[in-house]
Amino acid sequence: MTLISRRLATAIVAMTAMLGFGFSAQAADPVRIGYSLPKTGIFAPAAASQDNAYELWREQVNAKGGLNVAGSKRMVEFVKYDDQSDPGKVVQIYEKLITSDKVDLVFAPWGTAHHFALAGVLERHKVPMMGNTAASVKIRELKAKYVWFPASGMPDQLAESLVNLMKAQKVKTAAVMTLQLPYSLEVRQFLLPALKKAGIDVVVEKAYPPTIKDMTAQLTQVKAKSPDAVLSLSYPSDSVMYMKQAKALGIKAPFQVVLIGPSIPFFGKVFGAATDSVVTLGQWSPHQAKWTRAKPFLAAYKAKFKDVPDYLDTALVYMSCEIVEQAVAKAGLDREKLRAAYAGGTFETIGGQISFDGVQVVAPTLVSQVQKGEMHIVYPPKLATSPYTPKSGWGK
Amino acid sequence: MDALLSGQLLLAALVTGFVYALVALGLNLIYGTMRLLNIAHGELVMLGAYVTFWLFTLTGVSPLIAFVVAMVLGAAMGWAAYRGIFRSAILSTSVVERLEANSLLLFFGISIILQNVISLIFKADLRGYQYLDNVVEFGGIAITGNRLLVFGISCVVCVGIILFLRYSIFGLAIRALIQNRDATAIVGIDVDRVQAISFGLGFGLAALAGALISTMQPISPFMGFPFTIAAFVVIILGGLGNMTGSLVGGLILGFLETYGVALTAPTYQSILIYGVFIGVLLWRPQGILGGKRVAR
Amino acid sequence: MTRTRIPEIGVIVAAFAIVASLPWLAGSYMVSFAFSLMMWLALTQSWVLFSGLTGYISLGHAVFFGAGAYVMVLCWGTISFWLAIPLAGIIAGGLALLLGYPCLRVRGPYFVILTFGLAELIKFVVVNIESELGQFSRVVFGGPGVDQLFHVMVGLAAIATLMTYVVRRSRAGVGLRAIRENEEAAETIGVSVARYKAFAFAASAIIPGMVGAVMVLRTTYFEPLQAFSPITSFTIVSIAIIGGGDDAPGPVYGALFLVVLQELLWANWPQLYMIILGLLLVFFVLWSPDGVHGWVRKWQLGGRK
Repeated sequence: MTLISRRLATAIVAMTAMLGFGFSAQAADPVRIGYSLPKTGIFAPAAASQDNAYELWREQVNAKGGLNVAGSKRMVEFVKYDDQSDPGKVVQIYEKLITSDKVDLVFAPWGTAHHFALAGVLERHKVPMMGNTAASVKIRELKAKYVWFPASGMPDQLAESLVNLMKAQKVKTAAVMTLQLPYSLEVRQFLLPALKKAGIDVVVEKAYPPTIKDMTAQLTQVKAKSPDAVLSLSYPSDSVMYMKQAKALGIKAPFQVVLIGPSIPFFGKVFGAATDSVVTLGQWSPHQAKWTRAKPFLAAYKAKFKDVPDYLDTALVYMSCEIVEQAVAKAGLDREKLRAAYAGGTFETIGGQISFDGVQVVAPTLVSQVQKGEMHIVYPPKLATSPYTPKSGWGK
Repeated sequence: MDALLSGQLLLAALVTGFVYALVALGLNLIYGTMRLLNIAHGELVMLGAYVTFWLFTLTGVSPLIAFVVAMVLGAAMGWAAYRGIFRSAILSTSVVERLEANSLLLFFGISIILQNVISLIFKADLRGYQYLDNVVEFGGIAITGNRLLVFGISCVVCVGIILFLRYSIFGLAIRALIQNRDATAIVGIDVDRVQAISFGLGFGLAALAGALISTMQPISPFMGFPFTIAAFVVIILGGLGNMTGSLVGGLILGFLETYGVALTAPTYQSILIYGVFIGVLLWRPQGILGGKRVAR
Repeated sequence: MTRTRIPEIGVIVAAFAIVASLPWLAGSYMVSFAFSLMMWLALTQSWVLFSGLTGYISLGHAVFFGAGAYVMVLCWGTISFWLAIPLAGIIAGGLALLLGYPCLRVRGPYFVILTFGLAELIKFVVVNIESELGQFSRVVFGGPGVDQLFHVMVGLAAIATLMTYVVRRSRAGVGLRAIRENEEAAETIGVSVARYKAFAFAASAIIPGMVGAVMVLRTTYFEPLQAFSPITSFTIVSIAIIGGGDDAPGPVYGALFLVVLQELLWANWPQLYMIILGLLLVFFVLWSPDGVHGWVRKWQLGGRK
């Protein structure tokens, strides 16, 4: 009994405090930002870089005296949970963050599946969230009003970009292997018809569950057919499995795509020269001269973490933080004002200028390639930092 | 089609099959002798895997030695579990009546505890290590060294256990116990001791399987469950209490899985396994090799 | 005997009344807590209706929950929510009759494993159907508000509790329990065993189906691996074991206990929560299979000596 009334009392006090009479200028209350990340479970290794970006941003903001909330500066505090890579838990955690912990803002979790799980919660509680490590045509179709994706890799556009690149390389046959998770499935959904339209023959097409332990069966089939292009629409863990087993079996295709993985620092460390010329989802490269914030970010990241960032996730997450920072500076913490600011604003980020059309970012979809250990953008031509080079062998 | 007939797939099926058989043998021993449905069997596999992982990454001890250590530890744990919990539980009559149906729940509780204790200690991420990762090629088949090793060891152990059960005194005692509990006691066999040995052996085999598996794939605290299911499928296939049945059943399942997946798609793997499971349970609950002895 | 029961059930009725008025008495956090409580209560009461009384331990009850949720997902946009909820219940009941046909022919541990296996099979079938439809998970926007859903859930929990309470004391209940004690003997004295089992099984599926539908609206999110998760089945059984699986008050104690434990632990120490659950399960199975309700009964009867 005591437990419940104490909780009730705390809730009432907290509510009153929050509702407060606006955020008075002299109040040094920290801005509490809540989120969950997979600290354990299958996505844990991939999500580590996301937290790095959040922490780097927080450090930088607090060093400047705090987050600018429509004029007054307040320090930033995080309320974090481990969602154990479980979308169901993500839903529960964010509900808790919103209704019980009563955070001021929410940051995004990791991965399309988790963003997707949250769409309904955000709509119901009318809490705007700037997404990052996700892109989904379905959420765009749902016309969600409280989440946005700065990610360039919208599945339909990515499929088109990849096929254009393949056409330029005179690819005639392809093998596609897809992990059964929302993002990769959506990419496949658009990729297959696009390949057909371009006259590229799909000789092997397999989908596999996240629990897969061994790709030998499908890779043996791929090797036997010797296609010009092999596309592994995979996530970090199975991307690692693909690289290992493809290399062991000696798959020779000149055009190889590993959807998500090569942008993570450990990938290069584990596979070294074997990663060269692998094509992957593009988002960011420090070599793009038009993005003036890019190099300072790289330097700050290296200084704090003594390593390069994940060129996909870390960059995206940092960009989402920059957007939040700029929106809050204009609109404060009022949810509807913030929502309007996100929907209508233009933001300066390390990946260039960002604005939104509905949930989606107005920007071309980028494709990257690892070249001699460096991440370069190879498509579209006007943003490319280096031309595409075909893959020859697995290095040594 | 070529891929289907390749030696590659055959070898993969054999490796999978023997590992399943190894796990199932352990489960069958415990069920056969004591009618306890050990749902936590997969967790024993998981523990064996972690012991090997830990020994190898922390102390650099060769997995070959770790295999033995894991097996011995597993056996000791089984013996202790028997002496500690199950012997007294069996003796209390009110518990015995409910034990068969409730043993499932009991072991489920134990499996939750094991999974989460390991998860607390080791974090729930996938862990892995490289051992004998070099690719060995022969006769046009490429296989990693570790898979070959696993194949060899599991094959030898499985056959060894079956021979042991068939020809040694202990083996005979165990089979007697499986066949008829009361008669075994009457004939003068120390039932208590045989049960303890079965437990120890059952746990030990599971731990060994886990140790072997850890060389081939990444491990996590929740990796055990699919092996529990596979073990159940195998012993249903081969007949509860029928050891040779477990070996044959394990191979059948391994082949079904490998070729089934190659023919259709990896997505159907679970449907395949559960489908076989249910099919056999409904059609022939005593198993394909099981005799008139319908264990209830 | 009846005299000792009325106070217990009276307390429970009063408790329901209080819970039902929570949205006006307390904040959204309390409502969320009570929501979970009502959900587990509804699920477990239905389970006890069948498994508790007949002794056929169903380890696959999550399949009805998941089926109800899937029905709601498929109906979304085309059929009104308020129609979809009872529809989910009916379809779940139908599924139970269908599954009962093969399942109810086997006994004891075979039944347990079979229900589990079938639930898993259906789970993976749904996963593949969704995959073929190009879907991975679904978001269900625009459902009724949490408070409305809460009242529906309270209603479902109340109905489930009532069903278990009433059936246990009815002739049907006597028949079911006879099946638990000795099925062959029951058949000999004229209990139409097959029919009783089938109806009880179907009846035990209806409420879980509706609960599943309501929960999809509540979380706005559906994903087959989660909706059909065996953890749901196991939690139901755990609640029944801990609280007592023989009569209506049992699940109340069990659900209350579990949800409080969850609230305290799952956010920050999820493994500890599971470990404690496991320990409790082991303890109760070995030494106290009548659960908390059993203790309460013993205490009441002992006091009346």
